[in-house]
Amino acid sequence: MKSGLEVHQQLATGKLFCNCPAELSEEVRGRVLRRLRATGGENHAIDPAAAFQASRDLRFVYEVVPSSCLVELDEEPPHGLSKAALDVALVMAQLLHARVLDEIEVMRKIVVDGSNTAGFQRTALVAVDGHLEVRGHTISIPTVCLEEDAARKTGETAGEVTYRLDRLGIPLIEIATGPEITSGAEAREVAEEIGMLLRTTGRVRRGIGTIREDVNVSTEGGARVEIKGVQELRLLERYAELEERRQRFLLDLREKLRSRGARPPSGPGQDVAPALTGPGKGFLFEAARRGHPVLGLVLPGFRGLLRELDASGERLGRELADYARAAGLRGLVHSDELPGYGLEGDRLQALEQALGTGPEDAFVLVTAPEVATAARALAGVSARAAAALVGVPGETREPLPDGRTRYTRPLPGRDRMYPETDVPPVRVDPGHLRELSASLPPRPEVVRERLADRYHLNPEVARQLQRRGAVETFESLVGRGHAAALVARVYTQDLPTAEADLTAPVELAPALLEEVLGSVAEGRIAKEGIASVLRELLLGAPTTVAAIERAGLGGGPVSDLDTLAERVVAANEALVRERGDEAFSPLMGDLMREVRGRRDGQEVAKALRKALASRRAPSGG
Amino acid sequence: MSATGAPVPDDAWETLRRLPRGRTIEIETHDGHRWRGTLVPPHDLSGERVVQIKLDSGYNVGVRIDPADRLRLLDEETGNGGNGGNATAPSRARTRDGEPWVALLSTGGTIASRVDYRTGGVRPVQDEAELLSFYPDLERDGPVRVTPVFDRLSENLAPEDWQTLAREVGRAFGEGARGVVVAHGTDTLAFTAAALSFQLENLPGPVVLVGAQRSPDRPSSDGVTNLAAAVRLARTAPIGEVVVVMHASLSDDRFAIHRGTRVRKMHATRRDAFQSRNGPSLGWMDAATVHWNTPPRPAATGPVRVDDRLGDHVGLLWLYPGLSPARAEAFSKDLRGLVLAGTGLGHSSTVHLAWIRAAVALGTVTVMTSQCLDGAVDPFVYATGRELLRAGVLYADDLLPETAYVKLLWALGRSSDPREVAALMLEDRAGEFTGRRLAEGDR
Repeated sequence: MKSGLEVHQQLATGKLFCNCPAELSEEVRGRVLRRLRATGGENHAIDPAAAFQASRDLRFVYEVVPSSCLVELDEEPPHGLSKAALDVALVMAQLLHARVLDEIEVMRKIVVDGSNTAGFQRTALVAVDGHLEVRGHTISIPTVCLEEDAARKTGETAGEVTYRLDRLGIPLIEIATGPEITSGAEAREVAEEIGMLLRTTGRVRRGIGTIREDVNVSTEGGARVEIKGVQELRLLERYAELEERRQRFLLDLREKLRSRGARPPSGPGQDVAPALTGPGKGFLFEAARRGHPVLGLVLPGFRGLLRELDASGERLGRELADYARAAGLRGLVHSDELPGYGLEGDRLQALEQALGTGPEDAFVLVTAPEVATAARALAGVSARAAAALVGVPGETREPLPDGRTRYTRPLPGRDRMYPETDVPPVRVDPGHLRELSASLPPRPEVVRERLADRYHLNPEVARQLQRRGAVETFESLVGRGHAAALVARVYTQDLPTAEADLTAPVELAPALLEEVLGSVAEGRIAKEGIASVLRELLLGAPTTVAAIERAGLGGGPVSDLDTLAERVVAANEALVRERGDEAFSPLMGDLMREVRGRRDGQEVAKALRKALASRRAPSGG
Repeated sequence: MSATGAPVPDDAWETLRRLPRGRTIEIETHDGHRWRGTLVPPHDLSGERVVQIKLDSGYNVGVRIDPADRLRLLDEETGNGGNGGNATAPSRARTRDGEPWVALLSTGGTIASRVDYRTGGVRPVQDEAELLSFYPDLERDGPVRVTPVFDRLSENLAPEDWQTLAREVGRAFGEGARGVVVAHGTDTLAFTAAALSFQLENLPGPVVLVGAQRSPDRPSSDGVTNLAAAVRLARTAPIGEVVVVMHASLSDDRFAIHRGTRVRKMHATRRDAFQSRNGPSLGWMDAATVHWNTPPRPAATGPVRVDDRLGDHVGLLWLYPGLSPARAEAFSKDLRGLVLAGTGLGHSSTVHLAWIRAAVALGTVTVMTSQCLDGAVDPFVYATGRELLRAGVLYADDLLPETAYVKLLWALGRSSDPREVAALMLEDRAGEFTGRRLAEGDR
């Protein structure tokens, strides 16, 4: 496997081409309806990805919010490129040892899925040819770009997508790595390292969704596939690995298809609705009754291979259905899942006769109220089936929460880019570049050394703090009197434990974290209870007090630990008599369960030892 | 030109600046970096010795050429200079006998412009084929015959161009067009609309002026929906007047229909920049319906009368505090007509009374309008107004300043007698006066 990453980080500098703040908002002040279509670039060629998106003929609704102006609505030309944002990009370029361009040209990248009101995203290449060391492995950084973020999707119904304008125009730094990453684990490390470097600039936005990754995966004999918009680093590994498996599966499948003499489907398909008249259950019959077309297409030599299941959960049938979905349908029916949908026995035979399928052939059926929609979907499915004979098609895919991915559109090409003539090119002044390079933020390794020195942290613990982006909060909490070792432990042990069960990432406010630390200082909970309290907070407990209650740590501190220890020892007299000091371990477990994180483990051990000693003393005397 | 692959000697800049666009090149910089890509036109505002190269990723980069840089040409010269390329025309539906058709007169402007990679700005399309490449659905509901009249941005159009256009509209109706659409730049679209309103009489169908605030090479261009609405109105509306169709709001689903004499561009960039002043628009339309706010003038049985005569030596002067009487007098010297955009109800500083009196006495027809745009001028409320009236200034009710300027050119084309011209100016010819101004209403 060869894999590359694109890391997109939002900047906290204000928007890239206007004076709006880079803030999300819930206050919708108005709605504007728009349509977009694909247009050609400098040489009139229309990009395949753009043509595909435009073919869906959607209506777009834009929600106007206080953090947007006429520029976001495409009602006013962009202002000049934000100098503050460009400076952050120039700093990053230098931290990545990249070569900054002499003159930066803002480009329009055609995107007609509605996420940009103009129908294009503005993007500029800032620097090239950088590199980054990750645990002794050099990863190349071919490009550092500065671009505007897209609008935020807030709703979707048939034929209409709603976007909010708050996110549109927030500056993004895009850092692309070369295809040198060899495992999912390494992909994650590289992403974390880049995230760390970005945070050292002090000008990045924080929180869920402010940093996103695209993963490009290519395998030997396969194709380049771009998985766009991974928000969770912990899933990065899984996406990359499942994609590798999917590609291997598709290559195996190709061999099977070839050895059977399977051929690409031919023709536009035919309407088989007439074969579905009369009584019959299922949505295909229902569609035919309503007079909708039901288009069928024969896949010569494919029978049985559509349902073949891979360990990654892939089957060709699903891949084909994804193409139908991407064209706006809910899916398709293929012959390998029949009988079903009311198609069995004579009805199925009649259908096969109408289609003219042979014993080795499979077929697919799609339906939509409009012939054009169904035909467009079937053309996509046909092209995908043909591609199965070639191998792995290059695609843009969307990450799903379970680690799998789904086809969204073809890969865009160079025809999607043309110059943004409303923004003059920016000449990079070498003097300014020198000034910036003289005041670069400290590199992550320098920060780690400082943390190790000042707070006596293990370097690995310091690295973990950096990866979490917690250095600043850590230092502020320690500055307010919390013990460095305890705060570090919370970040490196308790929070990861607390997050293990979450299905989606949740950001914990530093103020809440400080309250939990305060509860420990006041003796309301013990260190052992931190993880479960944090877990409750992440799951939505409104206050720290409520979280302590929900974690079962309420009822105040255990004041009389000695009495509790004596009771446990007394209840297990036989065991104590039999095993002597070796009874300590099982009894410690019992006692800790009783205490349930309300007292420190060392104190509990001390009380138990005392109780054991006092039990033995009288009997021995 | 040097052979492919061999390094080009001497200063690469000298070669690069003469090299046709579209060549594949590689530049090896003095510090060892290699740039490989297609040479594209430089931006107008690019720095000195900077070339633009389009990389395989699609990004353009600006590379400053140092005398020590080396250039390699990676392809053969093809003679196709790559200056934007030419679109191939989509196949045209042929007009069948008797099938109603719409004439589309293209004059240039944003609606018929594309990004020019030489200048970095937008430039008008050169021919019908290029225009149709932007609007492939133009003939969805029936034939449209395109005639390129000008390929100019509207700030470059002048009164003689209004005359040409009036004749072209007349010819289109004469050839049997059901309606006429004029694709026009938005900057001076309202002037042209007013001029056509006065020059064309007895119209057998709609004359619809339309523009775009975003060029059609953008996926979000409003030109597509505006033009479709304009063509639909021209094909179906049973009206006989000159109107402007543009976005009614920021959304792409509703279009305002403005009377040609009452409309003004009120915003530099918004899609709904055009507004009817002093009252509601004539109507509005969406994909399904046309709704009239006030009754439009019905279509005449024809034939259309084209009276393209226009006078000359007419000026439009915006009065402002501090304007010296000498400067204003110099401006008005030798004018046959002068429109004043006065303050408030139609006032000027009393320092101007003397030269205005003299100008009127020398035969300059002097018309007062209001800078306020909304509301009418009235000479009787303040002493200044009465003085100006006594000086012979013609108060033009709620005629917009630009419309008054166009109408004065037209009136002077028909008569040189100031009294006759004054009478024409005050006569409602094309709905240019509203007569009553309502407290509320759909603007």
